[in-house]
Amino acid sequence: MTRRIKTFAIAAFAAVVVHGRAFAIDSAVIDAAKREGEVVWYSTQIINQLVRPLAAAFENKYGIKVRYTRANANEVAVKILGESRAGRPQVDVFDGTSTVVPLKQEGFVLQWQPDAAKAYPDIYKDPQGYWIASNLYINTPAYNTALVAPGSEPRTYQDLLDPKWRGKMAWNALPSASGGVGFIGNVLTEMGEDNGMTYLRALSKQKIANLAAAARQVLDQVIAGEYPIALQIFNHHAVISAKKGAPVDWIKMEPATGTLSVLSIHKSAPHPNAAKLLVDFIISKEGQQIYRDNDYLTADPAVPAREQTLKPEEGHFRVHFFSPEAIEDNQPKWKRIFDELFG
Amino acid sequence: MSSSAELTYASRSSARQTTWIAALLIVLLTVLVLPPLLFLLQGAVTVAGAPGQAARFGLDNFANVLGGPRIVTTSLATLSFAAGSAAIALVVGWVMAWIVERTNAPLKGLAYLTAIISLGTPYILYVSAWLLVLGKAGPVNQAYQALTGSTDVLININSMPGMIAVEGFLWSPLAFLLVGATLRNANPELEEAARVSGAGVWSTIRRVTMRLSLPAILALAMLVFIRAIEAFEVPALVGLPGRISVLTTDIYTNMMARAPPDLGGSSALSVMMLLLVLGLLYVYGRLSRHAERFATITGKGFRPRPFDLGRLRYVAAAILVIDFVLLLLVPMLMLGWLSLLPFPRPFAAASLKLVSLNNYRTVLASEHLELMINTMLVAVATATCAVVLTFFAGWLAVRRGPGGWLIERLTTIPLVFPGLVLGVAVMQVFLRVPIPLYGTIGILIWAFVISYLPYGMRYCSSGMVQIHGELEEAAAVCGASALTRLRRIVAPLLAPALVAGWLFIFLMATRVLSLAILLAGPRSQTMAVAMFDLWGNGQSTELAALGLMWSMLMAMIAVVFYLLARRSAAGALGRA
Repeated sequence: MTRRIKTFAIAAFAAVVVHGRAFAIDSAVIDAAKREGEVVWYSTQIINQLVRPLAAAFENKYGIKVRYTRANANEVAVKILGESRAGRPQVDVFDGTSTVVPLKQEGFVLQWQPDAAKAYPDIYKDPQGYWIASNLYINTPAYNTALVAPGSEPRTYQDLLDPKWRGKMAWNALPSASGGVGFIGNVLTEMGEDNGMTYLRALSKQKIANLAAAARQVLDQVIAGEYPIALQIFNHHAVISAKKGAPVDWIKMEPATGTLSVLSIHKSAPHPNAAKLLVDFIISKEGQQIYRDNDYLTADPAVPAREQTLKPEEGHFRVHFFSPEAIEDNQPKWKRIFDELFG
Repeated sequence: MSSSAELTYASRSSARQTTWIAALLIVLLTVLVLPPLLFLLQGAVTVAGAPGQAARFGLDNFANVLGGPRIVTTSLATLSFAAGSAAIALVVGWVMAWIVERTNAPLKGLAYLTAIISLGTPYILYVSAWLLVLGKAGPVNQAYQALTGSTDVLININSMPGMIAVEGFLWSPLAFLLVGATLRNANPELEEAARVSGAGVWSTIRRVTMRLSLPAILALAMLVFIRAIEAFEVPALVGLPGRISVLTTDIYTNMMARAPPDLGGSSALSVMMLLLVLGLLYVYGRLSRHAERFATITGKGFRPRPFDLGRLRYVAAAILVIDFVLLLLVPMLMLGWLSLLPFPRPFAAASLKLVSLNNYRTVLASEHLELMINTMLVAVATATCAVVLTFFAGWLAVRRGPGGWLIERLTTIPLVFPGLVLGVAVMQVFLRVPIPLYGTIGILIWAFVISYLPYGMRYCSSGMVQIHGELEEAAAVCGASALTRLRRIVAPLLAPALVAGWLFIFLMATRVLSLAILLAGPRSQTMAVAMFDLWGNGQSTELAALGLMWSMLMAMIAVVFYLLARRSAAGALGRA
């Protein structure tokens, strides 16, 4: 009997240790991190709103300096790949909505998740432990409330096909989940290939303006009155602008597109313990509060967004979430459809 | 007897000196230019496999670039965009330069102000301001709709003419500075001879002045044409909403569809551009073979005198004012308007209540000091290194010194490097070479110098062509070595071109975005990152405030530098 319990205990222990990519930050890690002295973070997120406050809070808590850079997902991927292939990685922590995928494929990403990740829904973390979501992006349409009377805006996908919206919509034409390409992906996922393509062919007659600008600028143009409707913009941006008095509101068109900004650690990070500490901090309640305070959508289900209705759980609307792998694998195909129908 | 345009040697040791200079220069240029060139060539023939598959060699990238379904329309669009932009830049720049340097029109300072401030303004802001001014909800179309009651727009900026106009205006400061430098050294004797023989103003310009500035005009046309073919921002921002695509918009948007970007298409296009550049250089070389025909600074003494336009002075001044209003005042006013708002609104009375100075307060309170210092250091170092290198390069190339042919090509090839390819190539070099430049501003300076060599070369060789070889010959006969001749004769005479080139490269280097973001490490971030941050976050009104203050600062620095340089250069030519 005792022998069976012992075997079971050993097996369980072994299972936890082997499978235990989620383990608590203990004082040994903190001490090692403090000895390392700094952590390097290649971010794709806004410095002023997010990276700087997070870095400051982290430095306050642990006394470890955070050195960061800001670039697009493409540039961050190119940088990290270049450094890694040359055997001289400078980066510890990096983020992005799809940056991790090519790096994972070449074996440059560490399999590790902080303890707090256990409370996160499965879609917000990689089953193999390569990434953990720090915040969500929800893409929906939005409209200028001065140009379109509230109540007469399109509320469903079928509404977008109404001839009265011809030439009145705009989206980001550069390949991105928060643009025409992502819209196409969402439609195909929701309606299936055949119905989806039929819908998209009908939509292609609506003369949607192709703006070579990020979703934020597309929204700005709608706010400025260039177009009444923006498609596939970030709903939290609409709320931030509306709070400042801009005549804009987002449309809860279901299903919305969801993407995840995920954090990963480099396999040969120069400061591995500090890296783990930083990721742990960002995923913890403290870090998530900073996202919340800056009007971002937290990944932690226990920390609601400041504007409650923005997240799918509280706002009660359906969202298709696309993991980094889903975006990387499908974006070229969606882009081809975009070029063919909307280019 | 050697042609008077070629180098002469005072003695064997002077010949050796020249050879050493040439050898050193070739080594430096090769170290700078060869790695990105090899990387480009490799990228053009490497075909990326599907995810998980290895890459292989092949010509598929060329096939993709040339074989798209709309290749004919896209290529025609690209060529007309490039030719139109070059034409506009040349015409605007040349007219401004002539009025400022060769006539006695008043208000000349306006032209310099326009050139300097618009060069110092971040690219994105300048184009965005234009889009807002001429857009559907902009003041021009709003006024038209209010006056005529129609719902149509008067000006559709999202069209090919719109693209050509914006790109052409963006390059006109370069044309102004380059042609201005050559016209400053123009010899009025030939023009006066023409006038005395009865030629009118226009006839003189057409048959004498323009012919004399032909090397500069050709150099400029080549530069702007090639850059316009490679341009992405203006065709994307201005053309895409109007469903106009050019080669770069097709290639780059496909490149961005996955991370890491597939550089094959962009490299293939650049290799084709490379062949075009080499071809154009050959033509240029043949045309300026008898360079002494264009020389205006000769041993016979030389006092440039401005053309007296009589009453036409006021017409010329009006042209300067129109240029100032169109190229500078209007975009700056739009930016100023934006900078006073919390979010973009059209220019209307209803929006006046939103006006405040909040954006300026926020920008001044932000921690931009380190970024500003980095940006200034990089820009100053880049401009200085590029001008020094191209000074020697221009001399050797124009005087047909040893290696001149190779040097001319090495300095011009970077014209075809796309920003991303150059950035990745430079990154690869410093990740493997044991020189600790990676992540420092050193790597930024290195990459920028490579980028701006072609511009420096155009300034220096255009200026060099105007200096007749007989001046150096005279010095050589008196025993001056090559370095002495360079220091005491060539450099002072080339000063206008050197100063204009330095100014241009300095201002351009402060506003580079993508390369700066790619190569900047945590300790070497520049203002580009701060601007990109604000742009990406949709804080375009805050960015307008930051951009305006930044361009004013750059303009002040540039003006101070320019006045200092002019004062010291004036002494060399003996005039006030």
